[in-house]
Amino acid sequence: MRSRHRNQQIAAGISRRRFLERAGLLTGAVVLTPAVLAACGGDDDDSSSSGTGGGGGGSKSLAISNWTGYMSDQSLKDFRAQTGIKVDYAEDINDNNEYFTKIRPNLSKGNGTGRDGMVLTDWMASRLINQVKPPWVQPLDTAAFPNKKNLLPALQSPAFDPTRKYAVPWATGMTGIAYNVKTTGKEINTLDDFLNAPGTKTVLTEMRDTVGIFMLAGGVEVDNPTYSAAQPAFDALNKAVNDGKIDGFNGNEYVNDLGAGNLAAAFAWSGDVAQITKDNPDVRFAIPQSGGMLWSDNFMIPIGTDKVDLATEWINFFYDPKNAAVLTAEIQYVSPVSGVADQLTAMGGDAAKLVDNPLVVPTDASLQQLHIFGTLDADEEEKFDKRFSEILGAG
Amino acid sequence: VATAVAAPEAEPEAPKSRATVVERDDQGKRSGGFTPWLLLLPGMLWLLFFFFVPLWTLFRMSLSERVDRFSDPTFNWHWANYNEAFSQFGDQFYRSFVYAGSATVLALLIGYPLAYVIAFRGGRFRNVLLGLVVIPFFTNFLIRTLAWRTILGEQSWVTSLLRNVGILGDSSTLLRTPLAVIGGLTYNFLPFMVLPIYVALEKIDAGLIDAARDLYSTTWRAFRKVVLPMSLPGVFAGSLLVFIPAAGDFVNAYYLGNAHTTMIGNVVQDQFLVQGDYPVAAALSFVFMGIVMVLVTLYARILGTEDLT
Repeated sequence: MRSRHRNQQIAAGISRRRFLERAGLLTGAVVLTPAVLAACGGDDDDSSSSGTGGGGGGSKSLAISNWTGYMSDQSLKDFRAQTGIKVDYAEDINDNNEYFTKIRPNLSKGNGTGRDGMVLTDWMASRLINQVKPPWVQPLDTAAFPNKKNLLPALQSPAFDPTRKYAVPWATGMTGIAYNVKTTGKEINTLDDFLNAPGTKTVLTEMRDTVGIFMLAGGVEVDNPTYSAAQPAFDALNKAVNDGKIDGFNGNEYVNDLGAGNLAAAFAWSGDVAQITKDNPDVRFAIPQSGGMLWSDNFMIPIGTDKVDLATEWINFFYDPKNAAVLTAEIQYVSPVSGVADQLTAMGGDAAKLVDNPLVVPTDASLQQLHIFGTLDADEEEKFDKRFSEILGAG
Repeated sequence: VATAVAAPEAEPEAPKSRATVVERDDQGKRSGGFTPWLLLLPGMLWLLFFFFVPLWTLFRMSLSERVDRFSDPTFNWHWANYNEAFSQFGDQFYRSFVYAGSATVLALLIGYPLAYVIAFRGGRFRNVLLGLVVIPFFTNFLIRTLAWRTILGEQSWVTSLLRNVGILGDSSTLLRTPLAVIGGLTYNFLPFMVLPIYVALEKIDAGLIDAARDLYSTTWRAFRKVVLPMSLPGVFAGSLLVFIPAAGDFVNAYYLGNAHTTMIGNVVQDQFLVQGDYPVAAALSFVFMGIVMVLVTLYARILGTEDLT
């Protein structure tokens, strides 16, 4: 969910502080893709090579799709060295809806996408598992996934996939309120503080994050959301937009604007804020007292690939706390793997400092304030989406 | 020797076939057999595959129905899509055409004098000046639009200047207003106005203006009676090149506007990417095309452009 706004994928990239750094990697991935895809087509023999892998011949390969800025180069090298599997890693996901639109034509006909693994946010995972029939994803290979035991207990049984049969978190994050204390003039602790603060304020185009925080502020639970229960939240949001208390909806664009002082406050994702606060101590992050959102981006294996075992081996690698720590040090989102904090401490240096950063390693108190937006069935989801788009002015 | 003789003998064949064509064709086109058709072929195939086929697909999609949200829509003359497209998005249609119309007028007001000066007063700097018009557009469209967010934002000197002179209130900015969206559209499509007008003006024989002056015309009258009418094809082309893409644009409304400045492009994008409702998105596109066609026809009538284009 690093850059999940519904508009232009290019724009998402631009607004990222580390865009330039990544651009090279992305370009590399794009250039390499056709060649590696061609190579993938050739070797159908690796369906038999389940299990450890053990650095054998270079014929095993995987094609993984992920969000921008969700990978560390070191991890890619380590994975190759440890398993001998060649990975065609593409940062080609910028937006859940957009990626869904891209893969929909193939998956709806039961065909593959040419990719062996992908990472999508909870609700999109739920759509691929529950809303479309039969599911557009395949179960993970339990035999190849011994490290699944390291999944944090709090994340083990979401409603959309109670046994984590299809989807396991790649990274987790919080949605709360980021604000520039210089502009707001005071700390922000509640949604009302946010709405009444002076200056320009934005919320997220991601429906569940924005509506979820409004629902919680109105005392409505989000674990099992219904459209009728969400009405007051939608009305409050609509009113705030019409009264000019919310100036706009955006994705990651808030990152630069907050740092520059063009925005006073914004609904924001923890990982982004972790990166801004490093350079700008005036920017702070708060989970509203009534509650903030907890979300995960989940690794899944689409239908149409016969490399379930290898793809599971990939995610198994990142569920080793040591490897998860290397990844977390780079991407600064909350890791779903237990024991990462210890490993970060063991790494020393900047990585060790992250342990004290509540945006990367949340405290128990803040975890108490976080809620996961429950599953919506297709009809309900459509109603939510329609109403939200209306408030955005596009529906 | 033999070849030299053979050649003239072969010649008469050709004029004969040409003559038959002339007989058949009243217009008196002097080209042989199916050569013109052959020359038309690539263009026609292009149109067929990249215009008519997609248009037909879009049309079928606009009359398709979804069983549930993510099933593939099936074609069954589902006119309700058009009903939805017409009835639910009136505001956005209205704003699209008002914003695009305003941007076109602004682009004309800025672009015509600019093109005029470059064409008639540019002298040896003509190409440099034209380059200056075009060069900013080497930068990506999106970057240019995002740059306006900074220029119009809270911390910019533009904002503080406007606040100091009292044009803007202390807590308001130009960003996220209709004015910002119209400004963005004008800025982004300005070269499409300047270049056609420049081409039209540049073709005008300076002698004609001198002739008007010789006949005791004032400068203004010479402009009105000679230059302006002759540049109208450029104005017409420029207006279309600005108006049509501006009306369909969604980037400016998204980045420079707010929830009350969305245009039809934003709706199509939302229907396509978020709601997953391809049929309604397709119907919206057709309604949009229909309105644009009507407006363009009206505009052509008003400007009397039958013999201009």
